[in-house]
Amino acid sequence: MDIYSYGKGIPFVFQGAYYPKKYSKLKATNLVQLADGIAKADKYSIFYHMFHPIFTSHLVTEDLPNDFAVWIDQSLGLRELAEKVADLPGAEPKTAEDVRKDLFNVISSYKSVREGLREFVFVSCYPIVYDTGKRASTLAEFLDTLATVDPRSVVWHFVSKRILGMSPKNDFSLWLEENFGLKDLSSKLSSIDPQTYTSEEKLREDLIENLEEELL
Amino acid sequence: MIEKYAPIVGEQEIDGIVKIAEKLKGVSVLHVNSTKAGGGVAEILNRMVPLMKDLGINVDWKVIRGDSEFFNVTKAFHNSLQNGAGNLTDEHFKIYDKWQEINSTEVPLDYDVMFIHDPQPAGLVKYRKNNTWIWRCHIDISNPYPPTWKFLSQYVSQYKSMIISVPSFGRDDMEIPQFIIPPSIDPLSVKNSQIHDVTVRRVLKKYDIKEDKPIITQVSRFDRAKDPIGVIKAFKLTRNHVDSQLVYVGSPASDDPEGEIVYNEVVKEVDGEKDIHLLMLPPGSDLEINAFQRASSLVMQKSIKEGFGLTVSEALWKERPVIGGNTGGIPLQVIHGVTGYLVDSVEGASHYMTFLLKNKEYGSLLGSRGKEHVRQNFLITRELRDYLLTILYSMGKSL
Repeated sequence: MDIYSYGKGIPFVFQGAYYPKKYSKLKATNLVQLADGIAKADKYSIFYHMFHPIFTSHLVTEDLPNDFAVWIDQSLGLRELAEKVADLPGAEPKTAEDVRKDLFNVISSYKSVREGLREFVFVSCYPIVYDTGKRASTLAEFLDTLATVDPRSVVWHFVSKRILGMSPKNDFSLWLEENFGLKDLSSKLSSIDPQTYTSEEKLREDLIENLEEELL
Repeated sequence: MIEKYAPIVGEQEIDGIVKIAEKLKGVSVLHVNSTKAGGGVAEILNRMVPLMKDLGINVDWKVIRGDSEFFNVTKAFHNSLQNGAGNLTDEHFKIYDKWQEINSTEVPLDYDVMFIHDPQPAGLVKYRKNNTWIWRCHIDISNPYPPTWKFLSQYVSQYKSMIISVPSFGRDDMEIPQFIIPPSIDPLSVKNSQIHDVTVRRVLKKYDIKEDKPIITQVSRFDRAKDPIGVIKAFKLTRNHVDSQLVYVGSPASDDPEGEIVYNEVVKEVDGEKDIHLLMLPPGSDLEINAFQRASSLVMQKSIKEGFGLTVSEALWKERPVIGGNTGGIPLQVIHGVTGYLVDSVEGASHYMTFLLKNKEYGSLLGSRGKEHVRQNFLITRELRDYLLTILYSMGKSL
């Protein structure tokens, strides 16, 4: 593959997003209420609680990479269930709705009447998208830019848009396939599950490693 | 000015803030609160306002006026909102309204964005023009004394949006958007920047505190919510195991008439114990606070009710482990066993005091993790960015 070719001439436009947090009015003190809240919460809330720990600024411990798992462990003391929830899949083609179903099924099938030490408060958010000003027209430029662009951009294109149902798969794979016909590489990136990451830089590293293996 | 933060938070973070601020060029913003000094709100505004100006935003800050009767009422508001109990009457609400009316003639209310902090000036919204009003609530309003909240919420509901510090402070009876924005500390302020060891030693000597005996510090107003009596009791228990000193650093605030009463209660509890140092420092004693925190083996914030508890982030930023009350915003900062310990009792506080005094290397590990946690989440640049995004949203603008 000529990494200096322009393919079909479609540039990749790197955007990023902020996610201001909003109070959702949904709360839970036990598993039944948690399942009920998961059923009612908007997709942004599911996205936030399952995927915000991908940012290094996460407020959870490293071994339980989503808010539901942390609360189930620390507030309800149900470690076994917490581990199951921590390991729920979030790779393509899942969306917030798929993740919601998985969460609901796992949590509602677990029987416990324990009351939490603290409430779980559902937080919603909304993405404010911005243009980073970075563009890539060739694979070489793409590799260089991916390595240095604002990490918020990596998460926006690789995780957020797909989970929020704005894109059928991650934008990087879509572009590699559409502009260069790189179906295998596209699939390889698609198989990376962002749900268990607790650092956007680690995600970036893994993406680059996969690209480097195929392109250099 | 904003560029000075780049070595701490990274250039991309700064670039992002500058880009958001560009969308607010020409917009005028007025911050309004009730005190120029004392407490976390005034402290952060002292740093935030110049930063917003530096970003090209037309921003100002005004402090409302009031007599002792008004501040007694607003202190009662504060307590009843946070504690769920009170004894406020129509007479108190009339005093509150009277001073809102007086201030409405003295505070310019025609800025594009009116950024009102806490309950004291919240009623100014009654005199709003056709502009954007945002209420920034720094305290816990999740379980208020119903009559106080009923009175206050008639004003809050007139705002375009409101900001709370912690998700659990949210209100189910409010229809306006409730943004969740934790407060922050300024790493470049006198209180938080790096200082030389000789300055630490000088300050300790000035206040007759021994250098060679472990120091435990709590920096808080003399306010029952901060549980100063509990801190003294916990320290006395710890003294049974480890010879150490307690420094309780408070400062008077013009909007807190109860401070002196609580101070006298604490003096009684100390009962002449020579290793307990009660200091009432004037507002602006930031260098001294910086020195006390850095001189400490561990820092306490044993609140039983707390808005956020910024002294926790201050201590973590200096790589000191923190023992904090399991309330308000403290659990966001103290991740139990990772950056410090959360406690619900005097005995719990004493247990972890003793543990950290006996295991200093482990305390250092918690402290270093704490610094990174604060860098990622509780520095002024993050709060500034969140404020700008809230203004954008509330004005219906996009990036």
